[in-house]
Amino acid sequence: MRVGTRACTRRVVVLAALAVLAASCGGDESNSANSGMLKGASFTVGSKEFTEQKILCEITAQALEAAGATVKRQCGLTGSATVRTALTSGRIDMYWEYTGTGWITHLKNTRPIPDSGQQYQAVAKDDLAKNKIKWLDPAPFDNTYAIGVRKDFMPELKTISDYAALVKSDPNKGSLCVATEFTGRDDGLPGLEKAYGFSGEKTSTLKDGAIYDSVKKGSPCNFGEVFTTDGRIEGLGLRVLQDDKKFFPIYNPALNVRNDVFAKNPRLADVFEPIAKALDTKTMQKLNSDADNQGDTPKQIAEDFLKDKGLI
Amino acid sequence: MTTVIGASEQAQKLDPAATGVEGRPDARSTAGIFLTPTVLILALIALYFYVQSQTLDSIEARFVNQKILTTTTIEHIQLAALSTLLVIILAIPLGVVLTRPAMRRATPFALAFVNIGQAVPSIGVIVLLGLTLGYGFRYAIIALVLYSFLPVLRNTMVGLQRVDRALIDAGRGMGMTRSLVLTKVELPLAVPVMMAGIRTALIINVGTATLATYTDAGGLGDIIDAGLTNSRTVILITGAVLVGVLALTIDWLASLAERVLRPKGL
Repeated sequence: MRVGTRACTRRVVVLAALAVLAASCGGDESNSANSGMLKGASFTVGSKEFTEQKILCEITAQALEAAGATVKRQCGLTGSATVRTALTSGRIDMYWEYTGTGWITHLKNTRPIPDSGQQYQAVAKDDLAKNKIKWLDPAPFDNTYAIGVRKDFMPELKTISDYAALVKSDPNKGSLCVATEFTGRDDGLPGLEKAYGFSGEKTSTLKDGAIYDSVKKGSPCNFGEVFTTDGRIEGLGLRVLQDDKKFFPIYNPALNVRNDVFAKNPRLADVFEPIAKALDTKTMQKLNSDADNQGDTPKQIAEDFLKDKGLI
Repeated sequence: MTTVIGASEQAQKLDPAATGVEGRPDARSTAGIFLTPTVLILALIALYFYVQSQTLDSIEARFVNQKILTTTTIEHIQLAALSTLLVIILAIPLGVVLTRPAMRRATPFALAFVNIGQAVPSIGVIVLLGLTLGYGFRYAIIALVLYSFLPVLRNTMVGLQRVDRALIDAGRGMGMTRSLVLTKVELPLAVPVMMAGIRTALIINVGTATLATYTDAGGLGDIIDAGLTNSRTVILITGAVLVGVLALTIDWLASLAERVLRPKGL
């Protein structure tokens, strides 16, 4: 198997080399939509530490390389605040951020905007004006909060309203694992309790990565705060309760670029417009699942995605 | 005989630096007793005015309020105090046993084992225990005990080992039993070094207890983590200053205890 993969990789390398030769022989005319668009430019691409971000980081890096740019990767920086500071201070030039995180964490608002389009417009406008960060076109996939539970645990529970009713009758059975961030945000637990009218559920505060496993084990909690596109929902046999009151806002991601970098390379918008468009919720879940459940590397996943969709 | 005493004198000259015990002059440390609390109170006052000067948004107000700060501070003290107490109860007897002549061969193995506990990064110890054993206060305590075991054990052993052989021989010569020599001669002479180890363990535990937030054990780590993940400086500074003040307060209390427990004339 391994030998096969290696031989295959070698073949790809040879093909790539041939492609480069062909491209250089052909002069300015190229065989791919984007190649040469960003020739001579160099960028540092960053991301946060979780799977989805690492995949987005690789997709971005490979797309830039295909467009002729030189790329330095800083994928997997820990924590939203760290990556954001790296962007504003110039240590990285771009990374994918979610409208919700941009609006609430970075721009210090407390109330989300319910309409996803308006939310994007607001965050893009404010961040450019205040911090000179350019938000490129958003991807349609929605990575927001959700309440997850094991597939075989009380299958009659379908919605968060059902969950709220369970908490009222049995706060221990309705035990909920959360991360600290979720407990403090208006669009997190405090708002959720208010919208659905429940309180007093037994909560455990864990590191967000540990929540999925705990929900699967049913210990220390049966329910957990999860992110909608996380591959572990599928991989660990979890399901997501339907947000019947539409409390959780839709949070689309968009590539954030420092505006001075964007001003010098406005064609970044052309390179990433089709890529963002191709990233819908199903696709992103599949890419995350390939990494979390099949063990594929972000590099490989990004390459397959870009080639399958004809983006490089 | 003279060579033995000479050697031990030399050892005593060398050891204080190695074990972190200093023979401070009394006058200087008396002034020091008041210096630390003054600085800490000033830090708290500064924090209070800083928080008062800020307009807290709803996220900040959920963490920077009296109720949450009191709860998490108490949880933090419980984590640090209980884990240190357990370390004292477990590590000191083990240190005594390992320095008895019959057990000397086991010493390097025991130390190597305890070293592992401290060599693994603290977040690793805490989160690994959470994943394998379970979450909550109890398991955070186990992790903290593992993590701060070494300094207490090590200093107990060093403290006992550097007691002058001649004094032990003298005690035995006077007809004292081995256990009397241990309780009346060896342990009192080892107290300063042992206390230094316990102080180290306490400080390690106050610091490491901030990581207990990741395993549902509460503590001031809740506040720091909330400040980091929500990118709210007020929350972060409040949590960090409180942990700092707490660590220094506990260290200060331990230094008082050390003065009281140190045998007269040493």
